[in-house]
Amino acid sequence: MRESHIMNIHYITALAALVLVGIHIMFRLIMPYAESLQYENVIANYQNLPYSIVLELILVTVAIHGFNGLRIILIEWRQGEHWEKGVTWTCIAAAIAIIAYGTRTILIASMAGAA
Amino acid sequence: MVQKENREGVKGWLNPTRYGLSRISYWLQRLTGVGLLAYFIAHVIETSSLAEGKLAWEAMLDLTQTPGGHLILIIVIGMSAFHAANGVRLYITEGGKGIGRPGRPDYPYRPVSLSPRVRACIWVSIALAAVAMMYGATVLFGE
Repeated sequence: MRESHIMNIHYITALAALVLVGIHIMFRLIMPYAESLQYENVIANYQNLPYSIVLELILVTVAIHGFNGLRIILIEWRQGEHWEKGVTWTCIAAAIAIIAYGTRTILIASMAGAA
Repeated sequence: MVQKENREGVKGWLNPTRYGLSRISYWLQRLTGVGLLAYFIAHVIETSSLAEGKLAWEAMLDLTQTPGGHLILIIVIGMSAFHAANGVRLYITEGGKGIGRPGRPDYPYRPVSLSPRVRACIWVSIALAAVAMMYGATVLFGE
């Protein structure tokens, strides 16, 4: 993929994350902060389908943006074909791993109490 | 082939003799980016305790909802505000907006790309981060 396309993805995920994280923070502020973190309230948030979709989108957009940002920093730091390939594939693998781990939490939490 | 003298690595980034406002903004954008990625990974791991049930979630809250934990969150709020605001500035300037016209490099070699508007945007990003941190502190410590 051309680097200009990757930068476009970086910008699109940045703008998407800005909006989605804003929604995520507002969910913590619609009631007193400590109360919003109570187990029952958090589980209720996850069982709200549109909100759990927002959480999944945050997970995907921030993982792509964050690990691509790290890739850019590491490639600026040091150059070389093997280094660039290694950094790129490590960042892709790390992003996939964190998305999979976070998705597992979203799925389990959204189904908690449903059984 | 990469010339060895051109490979300064992190030392080149850290060299304070080359610091101007754009350099500070460049460094802060990277520093806050790495900090936010570390927080994001920690946050995904932290919230995974939800999957283990109420006791595990409350044990995690006991660990994170402390004055030290709140302090870390306030720093994260500041990093997010700066990274987002400065990121929007970069988005606009990399599109060619607000950077002025190219000019002949005359002494004292002020970069034309770092126009007063761009400078103001960097300071606004820093100010926004400070305001967001103060608001965060009010919410977290105000209860």
